[in-house]
Amino acid sequence: MTDRTRIALLLAPALLVLAGLFLTGLGLTLLRSFRYLPGLGLTEPDLAAYAAVLTAPGFLRSLALSLWIATASTVIAAVLALAAALLLRQTFPGRTLIAFLVQLNLTIPHIVGAIGILYLVSQSGSFARLAHAAGLISAPAEFPILTHDPYAIGIILLYVWKELPFITLILLANLQTLGEDHEAVARSLGASRWQAFRHVLLPMVLPGLATASALVFAFAFGAYEVPLVLGAHAPKALPVLAWQAWTDTDLASRSEAMAMAVVIAVVGLALLALVARGLRLGGQDAR
Amino acid sequence: MRADRMRTLAALALAGFLILPILPLAIWSLAHGWRFPDLVPQTWTLKAWSLAVDARSGVLHSLAVTAGIALATTLLAALIGLPAGRALGLYRFRGKGLVTLLLLAPAFLPGIAIVFGLHGVFLRLGLVGTVPGVILAHLIPVLPYMVLVMAAVFSRFDPEFEAQARSLGATPWQTFSRVTLPAVLPGLMTAALFAFLVSWSQYLLTLAIGGGRVQTLPLLLFSFSSAGRNDLTSAIALLYILPGLLVLLVTARQVTGRSLALVGGLRP
Amino acid sequence: MTTLVLDDLRKSYSRAGPAALHGLSLTVASGSLTALLGPSGSGKTTTMKLIAGLIAADSGDIRLGDRSIRDLPPERRGVAMVFQNPLLFPHLTVAGNVGFGLRMRGLPPTRIDASVAEMLDRVRLGDLAQRKPAQLSGGQAQRAALARALILRPEVLLLDEPLSSLDPALRDEMRLLIRTLQRETGITTIVVTHDQAEAVALADRIALLLEGRLVQDDTPQAFYARPATTAVARFFGGVNFIPGTVRDAVFDCAIGPLALPQGLPQGPGLLTIRPESLRLGPGPNLRAAQIVAVDFLGSLTRIDLALDGVALQAMVTPDTARGLSVGARISVSFPPEALWILPH
Repeated sequence: MTDRTRIALLLAPALLVLAGLFLTGLGLTLLRSFRYLPGLGLTEPDLAAYAAVLTAPGFLRSLALSLWIATASTVIAAVLALAAALLLRQTFPGRTLIAFLVQLNLTIPHIVGAIGILYLVSQSGSFARLAHAAGLISAPAEFPILTHDPYAIGIILLYVWKELPFITLILLANLQTLGEDHEAVARSLGASRWQAFRHVLLPMVLPGLATASALVFAFAFGAYEVPLVLGAHAPKALPVLAWQAWTDTDLASRSEAMAMAVVIAVVGLALLALVARGLRLGGQDAR
Repeated sequence: MRADRMRTLAALALAGFLILPILPLAIWSLAHGWRFPDLVPQTWTLKAWSLAVDARSGVLHSLAVTAGIALATTLLAALIGLPAGRALGLYRFRGKGLVTLLLLAPAFLPGIAIVFGLHGVFLRLGLVGTVPGVILAHLIPVLPYMVLVMAAVFSRFDPEFEAQARSLGATPWQTFSRVTLPAVLPGLMTAALFAFLVSWSQYLLTLAIGGGRVQTLPLLLFSFSSAGRNDLTSAIALLYILPGLLVLLVTARQVTGRSLALVGGLRP
Repeated sequence: MTTLVLDDLRKSYSRAGPAALHGLSLTVASGSLTALLGPSGSGKTTTMKLIAGLIAADSGDIRLGDRSIRDLPPERRGVAMVFQNPLLFPHLTVAGNVGFGLRMRGLPPTRIDASVAEMLDRVRLGDLAQRKPAQLSGGQAQRAALARALILRPEVLLLDEPLSSLDPALRDEMRLLIRTLQRETGITTIVVTHDQAEAVALADRIALLLEGRLVQDDTPQAFYARPATTAVARFFGGVNFIPGTVRDAVFDCAIGPLALPQGLPQGPGLLTIRPESLRLGPGPNLRAAQIVAVDFLGSLTRIDLALDGVALQAMVTPDTARGLSVGARISVSFPPEALWILPH
């Protein structure tokens, strides 16, 4: 058996499963978004669903909201994760416990975290109770609205809580492989502590940080259950809006749901393309 | 010394932030009514917990369904993912980049982007509303994770060991079971544990493909949560994070370097 | 240029564990090329990191000229270090790497570019300025790392095992480059190495560390001719040791009295002679010995001898060794000027 046959045989089951499920699912979503439904007699693909979606005011507001959620969550989580990774790289009493909490957090399902955040920061949540005990508020309504709010603060809080450990662990693994010698070299070449971080360590962990951040962005942009628990009624996050359209009794809105799914897929594919380019050109940027 | 104090403060803040959302769940699961503005419940009770383990609430049934689906998904993913991981980890071949791209795609494309189309396919195949349908759907996020982790494991495996075993008279099957498998087993076990958790955490794919007839724990959790049963919701939520805790305790011994990278490869 | 003084440096890594350095005092002359020699675990890398400021000493002082640099951060010491592994920054080009230190100082880009171009020519990497480190060979990477440190004109340059990661063929070339650049620039340079042959070939002066202590600081020749202790003699390949007593200029021992040069310390001592100085054939201090083994080693042949129950080893050219066979008795002489007495 040649190597090529062997490789093909080894890969075949996985590729068949992924093509059969993932690519077919994506393909059918795409077809139906163009209102190609031979079963219902629709054999002429058109852009009506996209037109309907783009002209509906709700869609653009939902798209903007989801982009806002993903951007804010990713930026905050990435910055905090970088700090956390630099902290956890050192040895200090209690480090093991924190490392354990970081990993534990990674295993907690999003919906559990979302409910925890809900009970923590809602107007009758634990923080509101503390504020009342401290004499800051006298009724739940006086507590700032942090869940089901138009700025999606609760959702962003959940993503930061959940994705900070994810990015931190990727960075830690990264830092462990890099070691500390490059920074030592930089220091002995006259770089201050800050310069060694800014000009040596940061550029070296940037590919890992960027990949992790892209994954987080994609997730925060497209996840359904988190805005379901913590999101406002209007505007809805895009995945929730799409699901609502899909489950609508009006069959026309199904095509619109497909069109929204395609928009979400395009954002994910764009991120994937960026990461793929970065991986191939890793470390090729000029000084 | 000031730097030391800063570090301690930062560590405490991080630990607090990580643990905070779990605390109200723990309190709610033991509360007998917990009205605003009480800081802690007036009366404590195990009612929510006894209801959670009572057959009538359906929690245990959901737990079994969820675990069964996750186990089956993991087993399938391991069987399919092990050979694929070997191909990616040991060989260089044309189209490798494309295969990697296909494996990465499910991590970047949210479930909502494909699940409507998948539903259409499964409807025709009669898989909607069935447990096998849900298991197949869960393979979409789980299988790539398994393949990529196994590829990393195989890239550190030296196939010369197999050649050595064959030259000592081992059959291909003996070579696999006595030489290759033991070498990759630690990596495979860690990958399987985290693959289990990926399936265990799925919400949307189960909701759409299960069509309401496959009631896994997260779906039950959401329905109790929207019904305002904070106590029962919290008890279920804590039950729901238990396997993750167990997985961590099992792998804690080896959570440095290599396995850290495995964990790091988990989806957000 | 200024003299580097290490004054009673002490360092232990854990409170309970053994100390890595037990009070090291050493003066490195301005403009010299000194080898810090020792086996692994002797404290030489610790010493280097202390000088570079990458770790802090428990006690003692480090001075450059008349100013103490002990409490300065690494970037303000005027000490540049080249690690064993070239550790070029992977995200920067060769030119970017070499110009790194100057950029950290905030020099204008045009001046940096000019210095970098000149420096790269000196280490013969002019053509590779725009390459990434991953595209360099081991020797090229090592030269780039050297250029990256030299361009800063540091007061002290530290080189940690600069030849050990190179193929044997590249070592001579790199050694020559280091010697040449050091002479041209006159930068006080310390090379850390575990290889005595490398230290001898490279340095003007060798400081030998054993188990965290400085045991001898001398010229390379002196380590062969006048080792300070038995351990030093052994580290430099000494194998012949005969216990006895020095009285006037005579050594009394198991193989009878041997004439010594004048001025050696009186009393009990250990006589040593280098295997290559032991002469087969007639001469002063003549004795008869039996050949125990003859081993052809290439450019030299090792002869193991037994002389009145004392085992000795001689290194001779294959020509001298021709015709010698195991069991034969031959005459051996001990030239007085090659004899040295170690404390016993």
